[in-house]
Amino acid sequence: MNDGIIFEDVSKFYGEILGVNRVNLSIPSGITGLVGPNGSGKTTLMNLMTGLVRPSRGRIQVLGIATDDSENLFRLVGYSTQFDAFPKGLTGFQFIYSYLCLTGTSQQEAERTAWQAIERVNLTDAASRKIAAYSKGMRQRIRLAQALAHNPKVLVLDEPLNGLDPLARSEMIALFRASAAAGCYVIISSHILHEVDVISDQVILLSNGYVVAEGQIQSVRNEIQEHPTQILIRCDRPRDLAAKLFQSEYMIEASIHNDGRGLLLKTRDADRFYLAMNQLALDGIQIESIAPADDDVLSVYEYLIGNEEVVR
Amino acid sequence: MAVYRRSYKPYSGTLTAPWSRFFVLFRYSRRDLFRSKLQTGFFVACFFYPIVCLVMIYLAHSASFLAKIGIPAELISIDNMFFFHFMNVQGVLAFLMTAFAGPGLISPDLANGALPLYFCRPFSRAEYVLGKSSVLGILLSEITWVPGVVLFIIQASFAGAHWAWDNLWIAGSLILASLIWIAILSMLAMALSAWVKWRIVAGALLLAVMFFGAGFGQAVNVVLRTETGYFFNLAYLMAAVWEGLFRVDLGRAISVGQAWIALLVYCFFCLWLLMRKVRAYEVIR
Repeated sequence: MNDGIIFEDVSKFYGEILGVNRVNLSIPSGITGLVGPNGSGKTTLMNLMTGLVRPSRGRIQVLGIATDDSENLFRLVGYSTQFDAFPKGLTGFQFIYSYLCLTGTSQQEAERTAWQAIERVNLTDAASRKIAAYSKGMRQRIRLAQALAHNPKVLVLDEPLNGLDPLARSEMIALFRASAAAGCYVIISSHILHEVDVISDQVILLSNGYVVAEGQIQSVRNEIQEHPTQILIRCDRPRDLAAKLFQSEYMIEASIHNDGRGLLLKTRDADRFYLAMNQLALDGIQIESIAPADDDVLSVYEYLIGNEEVVR
Repeated sequence: MAVYRRSYKPYSGTLTAPWSRFFVLFRYSRRDLFRSKLQTGFFVACFFYPIVCLVMIYLAHSASFLAKIGIPAELISIDNMFFFHFMNVQGVLAFLMTAFAGPGLISPDLANGALPLYFCRPFSRAEYVLGKSSVLGILLSEITWVPGVVLFIIQASFAGAHWAWDNLWIAGSLILASLIWIAILSMLAMALSAWVKWRIVAGALLLAVMFFGAGFGQAVNVVLRTETGYFFNLAYLMAAVWEGLFRVDLGRAISVGQAWIALLVYCFFCLWLLMRKVRAYEVIR
């Protein structure tokens, strides 16, 4: 099987400390968000898929390549660590250029590609300055440039949006989307859940070294049966609508929105609820919109992991 | 579900040979070394003794000039002892050069946590160590066996083909003795700098291993009335191996074979330490 990033029963222990345990994953192309509290194993998972740490047990394959085959693996993988670590004395350009030479690119080609990568992260003006003089956001961008420079098919980015201003964030997100749209695998870890929600095609939720959930957010949300689905309805007569809805047995809770034109409902059976709504709409209540209120990463995170360390 | 256009195209240009990639590290590290004027000055000073030797070789073949200044011709003899002394002097300079240049090769990368940057390329730990040690290897070669072989060639050109053929083993000994010393110094310097991760401390530790090791070994010999203390004295061990290579007998307390084994043990220990420390991520227990 040559497609995707595959973890087969992977565990990693640092001595007696658990990194990740019994991870079985198949990560498809597109943007995948890794979400979890501090110490949940996000960075360990990234280090495992880039071969920087070896699993204590299990097997990992990245597009059919074993992670200990660094010669072939790092032609396909670009990794940006979360650590602010750079060799001393190098300018932004030298940093990208020297590491491109390490990948086996000829000096002429490395120079051209390095400038391309620097241009992609909008650092052309600062490329000849020493990295030591860069701001935090610029360091983050040059780190992204080194991960992108050799045009990898798999981009593994540990907290890539930390320290970036809103404009730079949106530029970087556009960059990730462009890579994903080209068919690449972009794996991003982040604490900023609303950004993960916006960016990701699928998420992997980790807690205490275990994968708690994986897949598209809506699918994950549908699997969480113990929490009733929340639905927000904007309509002209929310009280009447609530009264009618409570006649069915699958309704649990309803609250009227502050502006008096909305209704937040909790239901055990979303499918039957939507069917019932079709009937109610015919009964003269003008419904402006119906939208799920808790099928985002934040809600899923709160349901599955708890609300510790949630960044809204 | 997003719809992907699958327009990704990987790099399809030519690649440099994998075996040559460690030279990238060599290039950058060497350039960094020679940014220091002190380092450059010391490097130049290392050629003072080879120039003195060159003058001695010239004088040894200028009997009329020696007679003119009243020095007996037999006082300057160009033989295995001459090259053994040359090796001793250049060996000390190589050690000082290593103490100056060696610790700065690995420790900044470890201290800055920059190793993941190297290892998320098609670049192994062995290649990293090879790249860094090649800096010392070539630098120390330039002050040990390269001038030694040049002196041998000059002597051979003065003394003739017969002398050159009879003493060809001296050139081999020069190269082998230098390479062993370079390997030990490089590995020791890198292992210590990987261990302490602090350039200055690593430099001090290298000096300590040499000088305190010798002192400790001597103390062991005196207190325990034994000769095993010499195994703690790296310079003594090396000199014992050199004596064997240059066919010089200065009456060492340990045999050449024992010295070889002790040096090999030191080398393996340094390699083990390097392989434990040079990793993308270190597990802190």
